[in-house]
Amino acid sequence: MRALAEDHSDLDHHSDLLVGPDQAPLLARPYYASGDPGPIVAALAQVPELLETAMPFLGAALGPSGIDWRTKEIVIVRTSALAGCRYCVQAHTVVALDAGLSLDEVRALRTDIAVADAFTDPRELALLDWVDVVAGSGPVTDDARAAVRRRWAGHEVVELTALVGATLLLNRFATALALPTGPDTTARLATEGLS
Amino acid sequence: MTASTVDGPIAGAVAEGTLPGRVWMYANYHCNIACVYCLTESGPRVAPRVLDAQAMLDVARQAAELGFTDLGVTGGEIFLRPEMPDLLAEISRHLPVIALTNATLFQRRLLDRIDVLAGLPVALQISLDRPDADANDAMRAPDNFAKVVAAIPELVARGISVRIATTVESIDDVELDRLCALHRGLGVPDEDHVIRPIVARGRAIDHGLGVGAVVTDLPAELTITADGAFWSPFGPTVHGGLLDTDLLITRTTAPLSVPAKALLRLVEGQPRGADSALNIR
Repeated sequence: MRALAEDHSDLDHHSDLLVGPDQAPLLARPYYASGDPGPIVAALAQVPELLETAMPFLGAALGPSGIDWRTKEIVIVRTSALAGCRYCVQAHTVVALDAGLSLDEVRALRTDIAVADAFTDPRELALLDWVDVVAGSGPVTDDARAAVRRRWAGHEVVELTALVGATLLLNRFATALALPTGPDTTARLATEGLS
Repeated sequence: MTASTVDGPIAGAVAEGTLPGRVWMYANYHCNIACVYCLTESGPRVAPRVLDAQAMLDVARQAAELGFTDLGVTGGEIFLRPEMPDLLAEISRHLPVIALTNATLFQRRLLDRIDVLAGLPVALQISLDRPDADANDAMRAPDNFAKVVAAIPELVARGISVRIATTVESIDDVELDRLCALHRGLGVPDEDHVIRPIVARGRAIDHGLGVGAVVTDLPAELTITADGAFWSPFGPTVHGGLLDTDLLITRTTAPLSVPAKALLRLVEGQPRGADSALNIR
């Protein structure tokens, strides 16, 4: 897959904005070394200097850190569901299940059922309230900030809030570019009844 | 400013031979002819994709500031841009220039305007593949041979430095001897004649021509285009109307230090990307 050379307006409306392995730019090649890097990398590879700057940030924000995997996936799936990002919800539904969340918990995060029907831990409920506020379009009130601070340390609130922001960035990126869900993810969702 | 007065990682790498000293610019992609082995599928009807004059001047100035030693200008046919003689003169104030041309546009008006290059550190590298018109023109364009052998003495007589580039799959000794006799007779000495293989990129692929080349086969000559910075002038090729990105370095071309440092990092074998194991998809 290559960028159109003759008519850039065509490129802007082209359905396929992803760089295939045969055209992976030099700085992007490490991301293709293990096979298909996924559509986020394949899109960012169009701008290699952006890819190699963005990926460490996204890895730090969404990847392993001082906050446990389950908690991070709660934030990612919930934020993506509120943002209406089909790609991110589907991809991270699978990751959330792998992280140990139950089917009902994932359904609740995806807004299919009420949060209160799946979550009971006060800390997680406080976090979900915070995510709903941060990922929403309304004001972030002092009361909302105080509520999450009662259950979470300051550095945790900072990191989790950054995680919401990074997820929203990816949500809009994936939605705007109509990134395709991978066949493995689609098959797993079907198996779990979460298509 | 000379390379010996420039400090910094690029200047050091160039001085040590880690990084080639030449920076290339693709001035444009359109051309008045359509050679069968053209890397960029250039021709009369392709999008020009012009690297504008100010950008070229900025590249030249910054290349000198960073410690590069030479400039190359290629296309497309660069003299389809009317301002090219004056632009080459201007950028040669920063570093010596090799400018590639098919030399088929040197009618009286352009020859008069190209006088500005006489005595400047600008060499015109002209394509001439065969000593016979039929064989030469079959790969390039009708009347190409006649126009080239007419233009070269005119340029030489004007004090313009001329080099000859021969691009062939193969050439036997007899034919090569005749070609060399021809360019000597036109006023171009042997040391200004280069022979290079057809590279299997661009239109050459469609004609089953050329040798395959991977990144390690190509000198890491920073190449600036309207679409970004590439590893080599063999990088920003076009096939099927689509720009190849496999040798793309960065889309950012200004400041020039951005692609230059990225290229140096690649040359030194230190690409980032260890975080690819983070499984962000």
